[in-house]
Formats: sequence, C-alpha cells, structure tokens
Amino acid sequence: MIEAQYVDLSDSLAYVEAAGEGRAVLCLHTAGQSGVQWRHTLSGLSALGYRVIVPDLPGHGRSEPAAGGPIRDLGRYAEWCIELIDELGLDRPYVMGCSIGGKLSLDIATRIPDRLSGVVAMAAQAEAPSPGGVAGLERGLEDASSPSRTDRTYYGTLAVCGRRVPPERVEMISAMHRREDPVVTTSDLIGWFSHDIRDRLERITCPTYLVVGDDDFWLDLDKVRWTGRQIKGSQTLVLEGIGHYPMEEVAGFPAVAHEWLTALAADAARPR
Amino acid sequence: MTAAPSTVEAGDMFFEDFRVGQVFHSPPHVITEEALLQFAEVSGDKAPLHVDADYAAGTQFGQRLVHGPYGLARFFGALHDLHIVDQTVIGLLDTNWRYLKPAFVGDSLTFDITITRCRRTSAGDQGVVNRHVLLKREDGTVLQEGTTAFLVMARNSAEPGSDPAALDFCGPQWTKDLAARLDGDAEFGAATRSFDGTIGLQAGTVATSLRIYKGKVLEAAAKSLLGPTFTVQASELVWTQLMTGSRNDFIPRTLRGEFSVVGSGYDYLRLTKALMRIWESGREMAGEML
Repeated sequence: MIEAQYVDLSDSLAYVEAAGEGRAVLCLHTAGQSGVQWRHTLSGLSALGYRVIVPDLPGHGRSEPAAGGPIRDLGRYAEWCIELIDELGLDRPYVMGCSIGGKLSLDIATRIPDRLSGVVAMAAQAEAPSPGGVAGLERGLEDASSPSRTDRTYYGTLAVCGRRVPPERVEMISAMHRREDPVVTTSDLIGWFSHDIRDRLERITCPTYLVVGDDDFWLDLDKVRWTGRQIKGSQTLVLEGIGHYPMEEVAGFPAVAHEWLTALAADAARPR
Repeated sequence: MTAAPSTVEAGDMFFEDFRVGQVFHSPPHVITEEALLQFAEVSGDKAPLHVDADYAAGTQFGQRLVHGPYGLARFFGALHDLHIVDQTVIGLLDTNWRYLKPAFVGDSLTFDITITRCRRTSAGDQGVVNRHVLLKREDGTVLQEGTTAFLVMARNSAEPGSDPAALDFCGPQWTKDLAARLDGDAEFGAATRSFDGTIGLQAGTVATSLRIYKGKVLEAAAKSLLGPTFTVQASELVWTQLMTGSRNDFIPRTLRGEFSVVGSGYDYLRLTKALMRIWESGREMAGEML
C-alpha cells in the first residue's frame, strides 16, 4: 500500500509518497523529473523491510512550485529535504538519490552526517561539472529560445541510458522523461552545473556509496572516484552497461539497493 | 580491363579494397637517441632543444625533445611496416597535422589509422583515400593527430560515379540517396512540416544541402540559392564513427563538441527530430554497405 500526503514545507505543499515499515530511505529524483522515477523502488524496496519515502521536489510532479520561483541552488533543495526529514520525524534515514538527487544526498550528508544511516549517491560528483554550461541554460530559461524541448529531452534520455538496458525499457524511461516543466528542469540544471561541494566532503562521516554507470556521459568517472576518495570509508561502484538513471535502468533495482543498504549498515556497525 | 601492373604483391590493397570505417593499427616504434640525432641531421634542425642534452636539461621539458615532424615521418614508416600499399601507392596528396604533446627518446609510438573517405579519380583508374591518424604513446596518450590523403591504384578501371556512395558522407550521390529515404520517411515529413529552409550538412570539407518545404525535400544538392538555414558540421572521422558505430551517439558527440553548427541555432534545435531521422537514415545506408 502506498500512502500519499501533502506536507506543508517552506510555504508550499510538498507531495510525498511512502510505503513499508522499517528504516526510512529517502529517495530523491533527477533534474526536472519526479518521484515517479522511484515507483518500482517504492513497492519493491518497501517489501524488503524499509520505509521508503519519495517526495517530489518543489515545482516537480505533484508538489507546488517553490515560493519565489524555480530553485537554482541545490543547497536550497538540501535544506528543504532536511526540513522534510524533520517534519516526517524520520529517525536516522538513508538518503538515496540520482543526478541532482545524488548530489543532494551528498550535500545533505555534509550538513547532518550524524543523523543519517547512510547515503547512496548515484550519478553524482562533488565538483560542478563544467563551468560555462550555465550561460546557455540561462538563455534556455526563455521558452522562445528553447525549441523542441521535449524532443531534446527524449533523445537525450535515449542516448544516456546504458547499453545493457533493453530497448523497451529505454523507450519507457525516455517517454516518461518528456513530462517536465522546462523552466524547472533548466533551473535544476543550472543548480547542477554550478553547485560545488568539494570543500565540504570531509564532513561526511556516515557510510556512503557512490554509484555510477559506465555509459553515463554526463559524469566524469575520475571525478566520481575523486569524490569517493574525499569521503572517509566510502566506496565507488561502477555499473557496467548502465547510464545516468540506475533506479530506472537496472533490472530488479530494489534488490540491488537492498544489497547496498545492507552493506552500508554493516559498515556503520564497524568501529570507525 | 585492369589498371594494375602484374608485379603487385598479393598483400597489397587497391583502391577498391579500402572502405570508410576500416581501422589499421601499426606495430610499435621505439624512438632511440640515434634516430633522434639522425633526424636532426636529415632535417637540418639541430636546435639545442633537440640535440644538446645539457641544454635541454635546463628547459621546461628537462630532456631533449624529439622533433614534431619525426612523428609525422614515422606515420609513413608505420604505413610501410603494415605492407598494405607497398606497390599500389601512387603518391601523397595532403597532410593536415596537429602536434599535441611532446615526444621523447624511449617513447614507444603506435598509429591508429582510420579510413574516412574513398573517391575514384575522374580518369577512373586511381582513387583518393583519406585517412585520419592518431599517434599514441604506449600509455595511450595522443601525441599527434591529423588527416592525410593519398592516391592509390585501382584494381579495375571504372566510371568515377560507379562506386557505392553510402559511405561518401555529404557527397552528391549520398545526398540524393539520403533525400530519397527521407522523402519516404513519415517521421521526417512530420518533423519538417512547419519548416521552409535548407539544412546544410558538412563532413570534413565536403558540404551538401537539403532544401526543404513543408515536409518535402525540394532539392538535394551541394549548394542552395540562399544558402543553408543552418549547417551541422564535423570531421570525416566523427561522421565515420557516427554512421558506422554500434549506436547512434550524436547527442554525446555534440556534448563533447565534436559537431558544430553555423547559421540559425534556433532552427537547428527546432529540427532536432528531423536531424535524428537524417542520422538514422545515414546509418541505415551505411549499415547496408557493411
């Protein structure tokens, strides 16, 4: 059974789904998308003994827009997520996210490392990927300068799914990614291309996994590995034939996530 | 009728044996001190940076630098080592070369050679073969990169237009074949139904254009009267890889800056789907050749 609720956060209503009983796992979606990316995780992982919590970030999915307009600073999303953790009274949750959600997971862990059981940061690195990417995105905020936006999202998603993912699944992922508000997505991407948390990584003391697909051309594997080396005790996992969206691409993802979380729990039990 | 002399070695390749997308890897060549000094002698470039070990120790490199053209010269040695055109080669036509990183005594050099265009000459008994060349050190670092064309004997004399055109990217027959496919492609038609303009395509220095009005290709030719609305261009190597690779990777290639656009960037973005149909059609044409 999936429970749905609207939570009043920072003067706007946040849509949050939850399922299962056990240690909470907060799941954060990618730029411009929504919690629907975690629909199979919600049912599958909750059945394995977790309380899976899936919010739509402000302006995404069924959540209201952020007060003051689309968010361009991932740090504000991180604060929002911590507010959500407080509001829902989550006790030492895991945080698992992908892309901006992955970077958010790391950011949250730099802020409240003692209050988390662990982090799975997928498709994320600490460094802002490439300076200069923001100027083009700024232009793209104007609808008039951003033609064929949904086609570009569709083909971009097709291209960044991994070579091992069956074509029908790639088509499904890409078709669903067309559902976005371009202004919100572009604002998220400005956040992605400008948010740099390299100098705060040492604050992360909870068990951490960095997960990246080797077909993910948005990420620089060396920079993901560098990020991992700055976080004490963390591990970097490279998924062969997978692209930018492991929770949507990997067959049987809930069982895989369960393995990771189990390993993080074992790690937490060891003296640090 | 045969254009080839009877003395040609069995392993030699004629024009017809080359195909766009073929890759050759040379055996390694280790640069010795003796070879460096001999190259200084032959070229006459005896600058202390190359020949004076004490002087070179005080430079930013800390040791003698191998002449850049040594790498280029070794490309022709590598070609000889491969023994593929010992007696069919006629001559060198051009060399466009970039020197990216220095080479030193002791480096082991290998060349990756990709065939990027094959065109028969107007006389019909010879062909021009374009090659993209990567010069790499043993650790994989690319030291030099360039393109170079050479003239090769044809096995049989034939009309210049009689060879398959599916890998002659942006050439006249390739463009006509592409246009015929696009005219039968409902998705391309729908994606260009609101477009009145010209899509320019360019592979290396070979440019072509598709004049389009309301979903129909009005003309496929090297030039259009008003010029292209926008032109998408990339090197012959990038075209070769996009057209013959295992998947359509146009998007990551644009992110890596391998394609560039001149003209209306807005219309380029607007025609994303139409361009994807062009790449798919080009890949289908290439696929039928391979």
